[in-house]
Amino acid sequence: MADEGFAGRYQVLEELGRGSFGVVYKGIDKATGETVAIKHIDLESSEDDIQEIQQEISVLSTCASNYVTQYKASFLRGHKLWIVMEYLGGGSCLDLLKSGAFNEVQIAIICRELLLGLDYLHSEGKIHRDIKAANVLLSDSGKVKLADFGVAAQLTYMKSQRNTFVGTPFWMAPEVIQQAGYDFKADIWSLGITAIELAQGEPPHASLHPMKVLFHIPKNPPPRLEGKFSKEFKDFVAQCLVKDADFRPTAKELLKHRFIRSAGKVEALQELIQRKRLADARADHAKLPVYYQETLRTISPKDEADEWVFETVKSVVPRRGTVRSRKPSSAFAVEDAMHKLDLKDGPLQPSTPGTVRKATVRRQPSSASRQNSVRRHVSNGSPRASLAPKRPLQPDLSFGNSGSTMRLFRRVPSDGSNPGCLASSPPEFANENQPPPAYQAPVEPNSKEAMLGRRLYNKALEPCLDELHAQTAASSKREALARLSDAFAFLDSVDPEGAYHFIRNLVSAVSQDNKLTNAFLPQHQSTAPLAKPPSDGTPQGTVLIKSRATPPSSSSPTSGAAVPPPPPTPATPPVPTSPTKLILSQDNPHLMSHHRRRGSMLPPPPPPPPSSSSSSSADGPRSPDRDRDRERERDREKEREKMAMAALEARFPGRPAVPGMEHCKALSDLLYARWTDGLRARWGVVGGA
Amino acid sequence: MSFLFGRTRARTNTTDLARQAREHVTKLEGPQGAAKAEELAKVLSQMKQVLQGTHETEPNPDQIYQLVTGMIEEDLFYLLAVNLHRLPFESRKDTQVIFSYAFRFRPPTGPQKPEPLALAYVVERRPQVLVELCRGYDHKESATPAGTVLREVLKNEAAAAIILYDDGDEQGSSARGVGAINPDRPQSGRGVFWNFFDWIDKSSFEVSADAFTTFRELITKHKELVPRYLAVNFDLFFERYNSVLVQSNSYVTKRQSIKLLGEILLDRSNYNIMTAYVDRGEHLKICMNLLRDDRKMVQYEGFHVFKVFVANPHKSVPVQKILIMNRDKLLHFLSHFLEDRTEDEQFIDEREFLIKQIRNMPPAPVPPPQR
Repeated sequence: MADEGFAGRYQVLEELGRGSFGVVYKGIDKATGETVAIKHIDLESSEDDIQEIQQEISVLSTCASNYVTQYKASFLRGHKLWIVMEYLGGGSCLDLLKSGAFNEVQIAIICRELLLGLDYLHSEGKIHRDIKAANVLLSDSGKVKLADFGVAAQLTYMKSQRNTFVGTPFWMAPEVIQQAGYDFKADIWSLGITAIELAQGEPPHASLHPMKVLFHIPKNPPPRLEGKFSKEFKDFVAQCLVKDADFRPTAKELLKHRFIRSAGKVEALQELIQRKRLADARADHAKLPVYYQETLRTISPKDEADEWVFETVKSVVPRRGTVRSRKPSSAFAVEDAMHKLDLKDGPLQPSTPGTVRKATVRRQPSSASRQNSVRRHVSNGSPRASLAPKRPLQPDLSFGNSGSTMRLFRRVPSDGSNPGCLASSPPEFANENQPPPAYQAPVEPNSKEAMLGRRLYNKALEPCLDELHAQTAASSKREALARLSDAFAFLDSVDPEGAYHFIRNLVSAVSQDNKLTNAFLPQHQSTAPLAKPPSDGTPQGTVLIKSRATPPSSSSPTSGAAVPPPPPTPATPPVPTSPTKLILSQDNPHLMSHHRRRGSMLPPPPPPPPSSSSSSSADGPRSPDRDRDRERERDREKEREKMAMAALEARFPGRPAVPGMEHCKALSDLLYARWTDGLRARWGVVGGA
Repeated sequence: MSFLFGRTRARTNTTDLARQAREHVTKLEGPQGAAKAEELAKVLSQMKQVLQGTHETEPNPDQIYQLVTGMIEEDLFYLLAVNLHRLPFESRKDTQVIFSYAFRFRPPTGPQKPEPLALAYVVERRPQVLVELCRGYDHKESATPAGTVLREVLKNEAAAAIILYDDGDEQGSSARGVGAINPDRPQSGRGVFWNFFDWIDKSSFEVSADAFTTFRELITKHKELVPRYLAVNFDLFFERYNSVLVQSNSYVTKRQSIKLLGEILLDRSNYNIMTAYVDRGEHLKICMNLLRDDRKMVQYEGFHVFKVFVANPHKSVPVQKILIMNRDKLLHFLSHFLEDRTEDEQFIDEREFLIKQIRNMPPAPVPPPQR
């Protein structure tokens, strides 16, 4: 495609944010001098998404409205797709919510603008399907625009309905959850939830597990706006949140609502942007921008000796034209195998990629470059830069929620305080301001334990964390999860064996306690699909069933016990300069359920020796491995790895509550303290996040 | 926006709409082109409303019938398809909706034909409409609306046949309607179908991607039509496919076309195509070079074509020769191939299987049994 020329038209400036699909840069159209947002999507790192991205582009490119982010162009550059969009400097409403809830006057304006946008989309036969504060962008002047068409649907016919289960649970209309066919009205419901979100900072039920919310919404009466708000506002929300879509008003009808008619001018919203900027400045969020650098594409010198040989002698060409004589031969009686690879089984078939389509890419590919340089820059000159580790917390697209949240242009401050980019700013892209990442070359798993540990991470931990993250709405919780996931990824890269021992001990400790055993182990033993990650692309059905089996409330035995100090409040995000984002998030119910699920990924532990006390029996199966482990570590002088693991253990939510493991807490507390001291000494910042 | 709301007025002269549209559309090129475009936009918007109704009002079948027959009489389908790229932004979308609805409309009374009224007419009497819709890919402006209409229409086998067998004035070309097609005559390679290769390879990303999606529909949807077509035009098709698409400089084109190639070969209805394809040593070479591409996903998609060659129990002598000649290299290469795919169990199994197959090959090619 003759696209190369287009790229030269844009001057790419600093990074605006990161999402699941790539990095968004600010840029300038050299021809017009206009500021634009340019999203770079690395197609190499997406398994199967080219058509989805194309779908999104086609929806966007057929929108021409002042209430929808304007699409400008898209073109290919190597294996990167550039999408050029209108630049909106005000950020998303979710960002703006971080410095406090909005007042009614502001909400009325935003709702009116959103209704105008929805009215346009709906008249065009489009359903947005993911209306929420995170997908509402503001321009510098306060104009309100709908963004993120990652899951938008284009209906061919006016009366068509959709069944696809997409959106973000908290904002989803009951008819979408029930998959009984829905249309434009689904967006109106989400608008009502968004109005509550703007007024209260969170959507209703934000404290619940998203899976539970999915049962909640269809079953219970619709949420209401409570508190000191005007009658008009409350009525507007109630109108949006009519459960029967047939009785829910259209966007056009809602534009006549009193709450909307009395709304003021969009310029009043500039206040929100100012407030956010002040807050950012005060919090010392201002960071030096990360500038775009062209990735140098070094062509890997191909080893001549490695080339295929297609000719017996280089000069002579005997091959083609040979008469194909076919004599019977039984040497190749592998028809079964042929069938095995044939037809529907091939991973090319649309049904299968779902199961292997994981948005995450393992860390190994970049190991070589990581060995070369501890400090990494935006472009490391490697032709494989695209395969540099992606964040462990890719949204789970199969679930259809936050895949959307990060798909499109959301202006996110580069300090990572936005949930959408929490999982971003990977250490590979660490800028000069950040302390050198502590990553070392990932250890090749060289023992059975290590291999199991790595497998455990790949198959269980990472998918679980991905899924949880995708299902979590509250920003502080997402942040905590992201950090936990980072920590695990780190542990996996340096000491998969440690991960193995950790889970093994955890499971055995759980089995020591009757209550815990009942809560976690038995129901999984029959069903536990050892090798099957929970987020394997199967649609929500499976997820729903699983969640029914283990409602979050069952975590009470764990959460009832001693709880370490609360995590940093969302209002004051932790110092963003720490590369290893470890954080405590003890009272997070998602993590409790995460425990359970992870527990299910392992075979049941061996029964404890009946004679030993709970404390020593927990130690029992552990010590031989542990000793060996230590030996090896001492030999390799990799104490830091163990400390990382210990730190991780110390931070693991609910962990101190596990009976029989108290002695470990003391140990890990000590190691953790030493580790953070080390960080402090090296970087001169408050280490340990 | 107001024009979107105030459409309930003045829809009395449904019959006249098609005539008005024709008048305007033929003068788009003239001195008053801009004014005509504006007039045309209004007419098209009204036509759209007649066809699809609104959220509040149901469309009236009688009016639709009048409109669709009017469009046929005025040859409006053809005129709109030809001029699609000249229409204003909103009108292009309106035209897309008009085509979609009109091609789907079946008269409520009278003898039920298997195909909708307008589509039957186009397929039998005016195949140029479909050809011109394909030519929408010549222009960035018309690519998306034309492509959207095409993909709807191509679900119909006769419509797909029109595009596949279009071959100018040649005998047996679809230019004289679906009835005139002679499927056994090899194509000259100058029909509209063969333009897809260039649209996919040479256009901008948006156009290319849309054209590819349509191409894929065309090639994968009809399980009787397409295998027959590919069998007759095997050399021409795969020569173009491999040289233009698989070897394309565009990453997306390359990757998607390798993937599609795998899909074509592994489709049960294409069994004969597959066996013919994997007999050629030439094809295996292309495929083995894909395994060595710089880009992992190209390697990965290439693997899924490569496996067909290796798993084939009746490998041709040329294929065996290549594999045996490269046996050691292949074994070494495959044992480290895409090692980071630790989660893709099916891939790992298949890779193991291929290694075993290659290792167990005889030292010299053995002619395959007669099939």
